[in-house]
Amino acid sequence: MTELTRRDFGKETLKWGGALSVLTVLNFPEVVLAFENAMLKNPFLQRDDIEYALKSLYTTYDTTSPYPHKFNETLTKTHLRAVELFIKKKGLANKYVAHYITTMEPLLARIKKHIEKEGGDKGLEGMFEGTTCSYQLFERINIKPGERSFPCPYKEVLGHIDKWLGTFTIKWEDVCNNWCIPTWSGFAKKMGIKVAVQPGDECHVKLV
Amino acid sequence: MENSTKKKRVDETQPFVKKENEMPRRIFTKKMVGLGIFSSLVAVSTAQLVSAWLDGGFHQREDLADALKVLVKTYGNTRPYPHKFNDALVKALLRNLDFAVRHGLEKEWADHEADVLGAVFERHINPAIKKTGRKDFFLWGIFERTSCSYQLYEHIDVKDGERTFPCPYKPILEEIQKGLGTYKITWNDVCEKWCRLRWEAFARKAGGVKFKVEPGETCRVYTL
Repeated sequence: MTELTRRDFGKETLKWGGALSVLTVLNFPEVVLAFENAMLKNPFLQRDDIEYALKSLYTTYDTTSPYPHKFNETLTKTHLRAVELFIKKKGLANKYVAHYITTMEPLLARIKKHIEKEGGDKGLEGMFEGTTCSYQLFERINIKPGERSFPCPYKEVLGHIDKWLGTFTIKWEDVCNNWCIPTWSGFAKKMGIKVAVQPGDECHVKLV
Repeated sequence: MENSTKKKRVDETQPFVKKENEMPRRIFTKKMVGLGIFSSLVAVSTAQLVSAWLDGGFHQREDLADALKVLVKTYGNTRPYPHKFNDALVKALLRNLDFAVRHGLEKEWADHEADVLGAVFERHINPAIKKTGRKDFFLWGIFERTSCSYQLYEHIDVKDGERTFPCPYKPILEEIQKGLGTYKITWNDVCEKWCRLRWEAFARKAGGVKFKVEPGETCRVYTL
């Protein structure tokens, strides 16, 4: 058996253990820094108001009777109610849609500039996954180049309203034809692109 | 310990004397059972009133992933301002009000909401007020009980006969006017031509409940 004096042990330890430690220290900070940077740069992790959102989410999803509520419940109802009053009862479809497009004009003009540089898909991004008005409305948005598809939120909620309140006169087709299609087509026109809409349980919007 | 044992022994040796206000255990039990049946009846009849709200179905949901993704996406969106879960809803309400005001339809727009929700008042809120005599059910029905409010207000502070909550409209209207500048309505229009008109329309549906509103960054609504 080889005997190791305390002096030799110290030397060996410093030589190998020290070298290993130095290597580890040299490599490790990068990983730590990258992680720290990711933490600091991640806007979600910097928010200190998420508690309210979680409580609202819990209250919503813990409400399953008479039907399961979803995060887009009130937003969907608000759109439906506007279609019911302004479009169906008051007959102001064109003015109502035009108002939405007009009030969004400065933003649409900015998106148009991106489209001119990067292509028409930027227009779909601006109308769908790029805005809270859409990603807080549609449960999910499937993204393909030149196409977006998403489950229609209106059909289901309109069904619930018909069953539990019975106070709406609009049909699902009214929503597709008088609200969704003219609005998206109007946005597209302002941005200098053209879209085709295929309404359905899963709605498709494509660049043409 | 010794004292209590001693006391008990002493009590047990005392002759039983019926006091006037004393109630034998048997009669007490009978009364409690009677009261229990009455409470059960009240509970059964009000159970319908509080259905559709926090019914414990959260753990059974299979569609939470989409909701969580939207939440993370929303709260990760901090430019040009920190977005919140109610962003699109507040914007839709502001846009609809802007349209209604431009066409002089704000009263009709507010009344319309109360009209389409008429069944909720008839089935839930009005019977609750009638049964209990508590006007607080009006506030309960239009605030913490409905998704129309708990998906709109970040938080609602509940006191008997009073609700307070941060105004969701002011910061978003300011952002819209800064970024787009295309709305004609002011914050005061939102308070007077939307919130107040809408709650007044609800109050009429609830049999004329009297209430007051103190608009502000924290809005206060209380019954009179």
